[in-house]
Amino acid sequence: MSLFSELRRRNVLKVALLYAVTSLLIVWIVDHAVSGEVAPIWAKEFVLLLLAIGFPVALIFAWVYEITPEGLRKGVDVDQTQSIVYKTGQKLNAAVAVLAVLGLAAIVGERLLPEFELVRLEPVEEIPLRPIYDSSESVGVPREITAYTMANGLRIVVWPDHDIPNVVMYNFVRAGGRNEYPGITGLSHFFEHMMFNGTSKHAPGEFDRIMEAAGGANNAYTSNDLTVYQDWFPRSALKTIIELEADRLQNLAIDPDVVESERNVVYSERRLRIDNDNDGRLYEQMLANAFVAHPYQFPVIGWPSDIENWTQEDLESYFTTYYAPNNCTMIFTGAVSPEEIFLLAEQYFAPIPRQKPPPPVRTVEPEQSGERRILIETDAETPLLHVAFHAGSASDPETRHMQLLLNILVGGDSSRLHSLLVEQEQLALSVGGMQMEGFDPGLVYFYLTLPPGADVAAVEARLFEELERVAVEGVTGAELEKARNIILADYWRNLSTINGKAAALGNYEVFTGSYENLFSLPEDVNNVTVVDLQAVARGAFRRNNMTVGVLHAADEET
Amino acid sequence: MARTLRLVALVLCFLAVRVSADVSLPDFERVELDNGVVLLISEKHDVPLVGLEATIRGGAIQDPEGMNGLANLLAGMLEKGAGERDAAAFAEAVDAVGGVLSASAGLESLRVSADFMARDAELLIELLTDMLRRPTLDADEFEKLRDRSINLIKAAKGSDPGNLLPRYGNAFLFVDHPYGNPVGGSEDSLARITHDDLLAFYEDRVGADRLIISVVGDFNAEAMKSRLTAAFGDWRSAAAEATVVPVAQKVAGRRVLLVDKPGATQTYIWLGNLGVAVDYPKRAELNLANTVFGGRFTSMLNNELRVKAGLTYSARSVLTRSAKPGSVVIRTFTETSTTTETIDMALELLEKLRKSGIDEEMVESARNYVMGQFPPRLETAVQLASQLAVLELYGLDAGYVDSYVEALMAADAEGIATTIDDVYPSPDDLVFVLIGDAGTIRDDISQYGPLTEMSIQETRFRP
Repeated sequence: MSLFSELRRRNVLKVALLYAVTSLLIVWIVDHAVSGEVAPIWAKEFVLLLLAIGFPVALIFAWVYEITPEGLRKGVDVDQTQSIVYKTGQKLNAAVAVLAVLGLAAIVGERLLPEFELVRLEPVEEIPLRPIYDSSESVGVPREITAYTMANGLRIVVWPDHDIPNVVMYNFVRAGGRNEYPGITGLSHFFEHMMFNGTSKHAPGEFDRIMEAAGGANNAYTSNDLTVYQDWFPRSALKTIIELEADRLQNLAIDPDVVESERNVVYSERRLRIDNDNDGRLYEQMLANAFVAHPYQFPVIGWPSDIENWTQEDLESYFTTYYAPNNCTMIFTGAVSPEEIFLLAEQYFAPIPRQKPPPPVRTVEPEQSGERRILIETDAETPLLHVAFHAGSASDPETRHMQLLLNILVGGDSSRLHSLLVEQEQLALSVGGMQMEGFDPGLVYFYLTLPPGADVAAVEARLFEELERVAVEGVTGAELEKARNIILADYWRNLSTINGKAAALGNYEVFTGSYENLFSLPEDVNNVTVVDLQAVARGAFRRNNMTVGVLHAADEET
Repeated sequence: MARTLRLVALVLCFLAVRVSADVSLPDFERVELDNGVVLLISEKHDVPLVGLEATIRGGAIQDPEGMNGLANLLAGMLEKGAGERDAAAFAEAVDAVGGVLSASAGLESLRVSADFMARDAELLIELLTDMLRRPTLDADEFEKLRDRSINLIKAAKGSDPGNLLPRYGNAFLFVDHPYGNPVGGSEDSLARITHDDLLAFYEDRVGADRLIISVVGDFNAEAMKSRLTAAFGDWRSAAAEATVVPVAQKVAGRRVLLVDKPGATQTYIWLGNLGVAVDYPKRAELNLANTVFGGRFTSMLNNELRVKAGLTYSARSVLTRSAKPGSVVIRTFTETSTTTETIDMALELLEKLRKSGIDEEMVESARNYVMGQFPPRLETAVQLASQLAVLELYGLDAGYVDSYVEALMAADAEGIATTIDDVYPSPDDLVFVLIGDAGTIRDDISQYGPLTEMSIQETRFRP
């Protein structure tokens, strides 16, 4: 007798089937109980575990025992001529059939009655006002995100999201103020402009004309670390956009006439953002003084004499080095699939040759060993006070701590500095703060606008006293919890648009080494303690580590 | 084989060459309570957030004579304590949960805008109810806010003066019409407002009969409706009649306002006249025309002034649409020495737009652009809440959004030409407002028309 026919005879197979059908039904019911919030969230795992353990037990039981008219007996003890296994088998068949029909009816019923809910305990007036979105399902890295590095070194990350029929593309080029030196300051930013000014295939202006005619819009920005190109477009323009982006990376024309005209545009931008903006002027001087060695000291827009004088040769060599595919990271979010992006990338970006990696930025800013002060005298009814301290780089774990601390100090009207300086003591009209989060250690930075005639020195003293208080006394648990919530809410706000998704993915990919780190943010902020915040304050908020900038009218005394 | 597959895939991917903007408003429920409160509610579950906009009809147009900025001060005061919470406790309640809650005034409404995590929706409603129904309106907080507002205007004069340009522009274009009111007030007008004025304005202008609450996000709509009904269903009406503004006059001829900022290295330029209202019937045609003229990077203005001539970093045309016709404006800035060159070029382009209109190819390009850029404007809960509120405020129906694409598809060069003629002023009928170094540019710009001059140090925006 074969094992199989013996399994059949002893109804082991039928018991297995019955067990499976019953299990499915149980799981279905538990599932609904969990989603209807009758059963706790772990109930499903628990029931699945029990069912899994029970399965072999039931089979062994069925093999060993047999139902007889006298009750349960061991199979070996039963006289085979008296055996009623056949009848038991029929009963088992019937049970399977009944359960299957029940299950089918339940599933069909559920489909036909989409409004049906297993439980609705509350009367209509007291429907709970609570989230329906299940945050527990969004923990971890979304599986639909796909990343890909091409043979020429171009890194591409795609996050499909079909909420609207649009696509966002970001190209993060690792070229910024930190890659410059005296003579070429502002060149990264100038390239941000030149990238829109013609290739060997398209005349100047064509890039924008073609993109806008296809429904797309674009912009770009340059920072101390990066030049970032952004395109926002309908899905129908995907191929056009990739063609345009590949063309300007491959065939950029650096026409001397266009360079001259664009110098004027950049000058206009400099007048707008720096020369005619008191905050802009002070910020430029702050960076120039806070850094004595590291290239973060250069204004991103460039010193005026460099804007006037950089040469054709400077432009060409900068482009070859920094606009190489191995120095770029592209992010696509929205109504696309990774497959179509990778196919298009192979077609359009693969021919662009890899280049020797750009020279590393070697200079490390030496430790500051004494307060630095600068003063700008100009027309200003309201004096400005800027205060900066050296702090960490984007990938430094302390940078996250400082982010939380900044939210406690200047995030919202309830923050320590706003409520003290603006509301209670009215020493300032406004106070803000930020942190440079770049490849290299940057600054944590506070900027205040003061009322006309303010005693700037007194405000500075009050500000420093408060910063020192954090270093000495730390922050409260409630303040930390608030900062966590602010960061968590911003995290969700970023993820509510395809543009926010592209920006967040790209920044994490470029500055921390992987976009995946974005998704551990909620957990990361939960692991930070008040002790961490006090430690980061103690490290940064020291007079020896401070640069102070003041801007006021010429006749005013500080 | 691989190559064939790739081709097939590409063909399949890009069958749709034409932009198809599949945009419509989400399903939403509109409920009007007995006391006049209108609720607009829609569920959206892609992220655990709630976006809310509460709109009180009537804004800065209701500022009493000489008291510009009163509506905006009231908006600010709604955040400075309500219900059991003083100003600090109110701010703490919002920040503690990572919420965003801010109130501001526009010309025709007060707006409370909120973006909260969905788990804090109950708190959001509590705070909203308190700030609208039980604001503390504390006298000391009022003094503080008023003085700070005055000083922030002084600060703005030293940072980017371009930000102040519309205040001077509207005041000089609309003169005594309420649309000329600077919403944030002037140093002068703010100083004149008292705490009693604030209390009276709240009683007279804020109430159930003026309130629209629009809320979109991750919640159960029935639950939201019952909470908001309970919170606002028994609220009083505003004491005073709602203000109705007349239609302003188009300006015939030219006039020039020069705001002197000694030492300025560039001139900020604002050229405008009366435009259209929000219910202008040829909206699609007008938006296409404005896209081509000054509404995108490759627009006529930006292409000629920035891209080709290098005179500026940006040049654009802006339409402001309210219940009654607002303004149509050209805005740019340039180095002091190229002020007249820039103005002349802008005027030539305006004339060219009016004479030559827009060809069919450009219409197609603009249509693609407007449709392609439309969906991301209705992507988040906050954006949708705001859009629903605007439709309700101006009495527009969902077709304003849902039929927009259809109207864009139907627009042609001929209809656009008629619209241009209707809306864009002749260069001979323009209000010129310039902020710059008067000593250097005064003589050159007096050619444009009768000149009025004031200093940026003056404490008001009307000359």
